[in-house]
Amino acid sequence: MSVEIKENNILIVDDEKGIRVATQLLLEDEGYNVISADCGEKGIEIGASKEFDIAIIDLKMPDVEGIEVLSNIKSNFPNTICFITTAFASYDTAIEATRKGAFGYIPKPFTPEELIYNIEQGLKQRNLLLEAERLRKEKEEKLLEIANEKSRLSTIIKTINDGVLVINLNGQLSYFNYAALRYLNISDFKIGDKILDKMPEQIINLYQKITSAEKFLIKTFTTQIDILPNNELCIEAALTPIANPDGSLAGVVIILSNITQFKKIELIKSQFVSMVAHELKTPLSAVQGFLNIILDDSLKLNEEKKKEYLQRSLIRLKSLCDLVNDLLDISRMEIKSKQREIVDVIINDVIDSTVNFLEIELKKKKISVDKNIQESLPPIKADYNEISRIFINLLSNAIKYNKDEGAIYITSHQENNFIIIKIRDTGIGIKPEEKEKLFNEFYRAKNEKTRNISGTGLGLSIVKKIVESYFGKIEVDSVYGYGTTITIKLPIN
Amino acid sequence: MDPKEIKKILLVDDDADLLEQNKLLLESKGFQVITAENSKDGMKLFYKELPDAAILDLMMEQMDSGFILSYKIKKTEHGKKIPVFILTSATYETGYKFSVTTDEEKEWLKCDGILNKPVAVDELIAKIEKFQS
Repeated sequence: MSVEIKENNILIVDDEKGIRVATQLLLEDEGYNVISADCGEKGIEIGASKEFDIAIIDLKMPDVEGIEVLSNIKSNFPNTICFITTAFASYDTAIEATRKGAFGYIPKPFTPEELIYNIEQGLKQRNLLLEAERLRKEKEEKLLEIANEKSRLSTIIKTINDGVLVINLNGQLSYFNYAALRYLNISDFKIGDKILDKMPEQIINLYQKITSAEKFLIKTFTTQIDILPNNELCIEAALTPIANPDGSLAGVVIILSNITQFKKIELIKSQFVSMVAHELKTPLSAVQGFLNIILDDSLKLNEEKKKEYLQRSLIRLKSLCDLVNDLLDISRMEIKSKQREIVDVIINDVIDSTVNFLEIELKKKKISVDKNIQESLPPIKADYNEISRIFINLLSNAIKYNKDEGAIYITSHQENNFIIIKIRDTGIGIKPEEKEKLFNEFYRAKNEKTRNISGTGLGLSIVKKIVESYFGKIEVDSVYGYGTTITIKLPIN
Repeated sequence: MDPKEIKKILLVDDDADLLEQNKLLLESKGFQVITAENSKDGMKLFYKELPDAAILDLMMEQMDSGFILSYKIKKTEHGKKIPVFILTSATYETGYKFSVTTDEEKEWLKCDGILNKPVAVDELIAKIEKFQS
């Protein structure tokens, strides 16, 4: 018969050699690992050295009482199952032993069957104890984890950019973070405050919609609110009902997001689109008006007048075309900033080729160009087409707004890490109050001197965009009636 | 005022082409038309000529210069008696929502109507006549 090897360790503490050895042999035969001690002191020593599954302790020993050995073992290893054995069985000692933590009391003499039965019962109990301890530990860990999770969650909510508020069914604040205070522009409130009255009207309305609904609404309601006027602070509030464990409504969680920047961009965009639409419509109206007049026989226009109106229509159409081209340039530039072809650009070469490019216009108005450029300027790293666009726009203006037989003076030189280019014309100049607006999209100085000069109002704004995208600077200096000087500073690196 | 009494119309527009077109069309309908290309000259001409009606472009030197001019005209004794219209190509489709609908706007703007460019001259005359009756 093969003996099943058991992993269980058993300690026997007994001063009576016969019983000690017989018990050990019996249990070893059953497959247990057995260690024995022949006195109480040794029993304490061995019992402390490692955890036994079972300890069988004699009550009466000459040196140390069995109860003391039991207490010692139990204090170190509460899950060790201890039996007290004694020939002097009494009710009192049994009770005391049990109170000190003994699992059972085995009166001597005992039969092998009695012993094995008790051991098996003890092992069952030990397994229960071990399992209970494992569960307890697991639970503690889980509780700790939950506590950690809670504090982690709370930290996350406190530090996120969005505002978070929870309002219960009484309209009281039950949770909030600091972003919420900021976004609602309320300086202080605390948990438990009746907060609802202080909320923006839109939030109150949605809160009431959620809390007064007959059914629990599984839905998020959003609204946009101007907290401060003039787009200084706009928020989006998202209200979502939260449920109790039983499914009933517990309150409303409100998430507030700052959408100020988004609103600002949206506004700029819509203003730009409005301006473009307006600028496109004006020349179209003029052309349409001319064509209607030409076709209106009742007006009895002579051929010469009709021809003049057709020519004026063509001029408007050309300016419309220029405008569309400039708009395309702007949109191309916006894409360009992502896909530039950066090369070494020699500014003086760009100036030369631009002057050549505009030769016809220069000749038409008999305008002379006087260049005073510093030779061997270092090249700048830039997209050639963009730099070229700067000079085409600036020199076109210098021609367009110049007087007949006027002059354009171009200088370039290096100053520290910048190349400085000045373009001066002898034209109509700019009024001081108009200088500020000069770079605004679609802005065109309107006065008796500019009325016959066509333009899109985008040229300088394109120049400014390009110059600033290279971290450069553009300045205007002008004496009304005498001319304008544009100064461009471009960094070499 | 009887519509037949409307003889002289002040037109103010910084777009020389549109100014000329409307002048031509109104003249062909028998009106006398006086023109200015900016609000300053328009105001001067208003005082000098005391027109029977005024039609002003909205966007001249500034976005709202037509409104300002109409406000100034409507503040004068003579201005209160005549129809003042604002012409604009800035309309709902172009993203601007100019209208004189609320009482507050009427109080401030004081003009008698906003017309979208390009405006048919018959429509313009109809508006003026409607105001008179």
